[in-house]
Amino acid sequence: MKRSEVKNLIISSLGSNSDPREVAGKLEDAGVTYDFSEGFTNKVIGKISSARLVVNRELEFVRNMSSAFYRIALTGVAAIVLLLISIYLMEGSISLNSFLGLGDFSDESIICLLGGN
Amino acid sequence: MESYRKANENELVSASLEGDKLAFGEIVNRYRKMVARTVKGMLGDSVFAEDIGQEVFIRLYHSLAEFRGEAKLATYIQKIAVNLTLNEIKRRKRSFSMFSQKGDDEIYEFDVADHDNEERRDAKEMVTSALMKLDPKFRIVVTMRMLQGYSTKETADALELPQGTVLSRLSRAQKQLKEILEKL
Repeated sequence: MKRSEVKNLIISSLGSNSDPREVAGKLEDAGVTYDFSEGFTNKVIGKISSARLVVNRELEFVRNMSSAFYRIALTGVAAIVLLLISIYLMEGSISLNSFLGLGDFSDESIICLLGGN
Repeated sequence: MESYRKANENELVSASLEGDKLAFGEIVNRYRKMVARTVKGMLGDSVFAEDIGQEVFIRLYHSLAEFRGEAKLATYIQKIAVNLTLNEIKRRKRSFSMFSQKGDDEIYEFDVADHDNEERRDAKEMVTSALMKLDPKFRIVVTMRMLQGYSTKETADALELPQGTVLSRLSRAQKQLKEILEKL
């Protein structure tokens, strides 16, 4: 199609009497076609997959963190229980004084100890 | 994607929602030209248009669950394409007005080589160049009408504009295009 014919087609395509589908078809035949590059579909699928991979990695990280936290919390609780048992066995009670290691001290001896006399 | 070549829209959407990438790939293949006409008609035949095209389908993939099948899938995709393209034009206008006084038609310098014969390439270049010189609000209605072959009603639906507005924009675009094409 010649340049002048394409120009006329473009102008007439916007008129109220024209058939838009027919004009679009004629323009396409004249070479006015648009498409994306080769491999476009694969690029889109690749981007979607990589985005999903990032989300999966984030989820895995959160899952790993909560499992690590769970293990640390369990170990901590076990250590506290062991400490309380050992205090009870050594001091015979689980009072604050025995917990702080002050079970055998009287008030005077603590003052002497702190005062250095 | 051979297995989905004869599948209908609803089957493709359902399969895509279940994570079937072949089904979604078939959707991309079916509608890529339609999206290319809108995006490249509005932004020019550039690498940026390619990125926006990809973004259209990525957005579609993430919003497929919201697609209820009340409208055609093509209309749904077209709306995403129009919105993303208009956003890109706004973004460009902002960044160009910040850094230079260049017009909107001077940024399409990344033409992808086409191996059609010279006459066909000439026709395409002339159409693209004329479109780029149009005001974006006229360019979008002309793209819908001239490249997509949409009727006034279909254009109005896709752009969510009253039919009267579409008709008046088409009429004004026709005048602008006459002047532009005389100089080309």
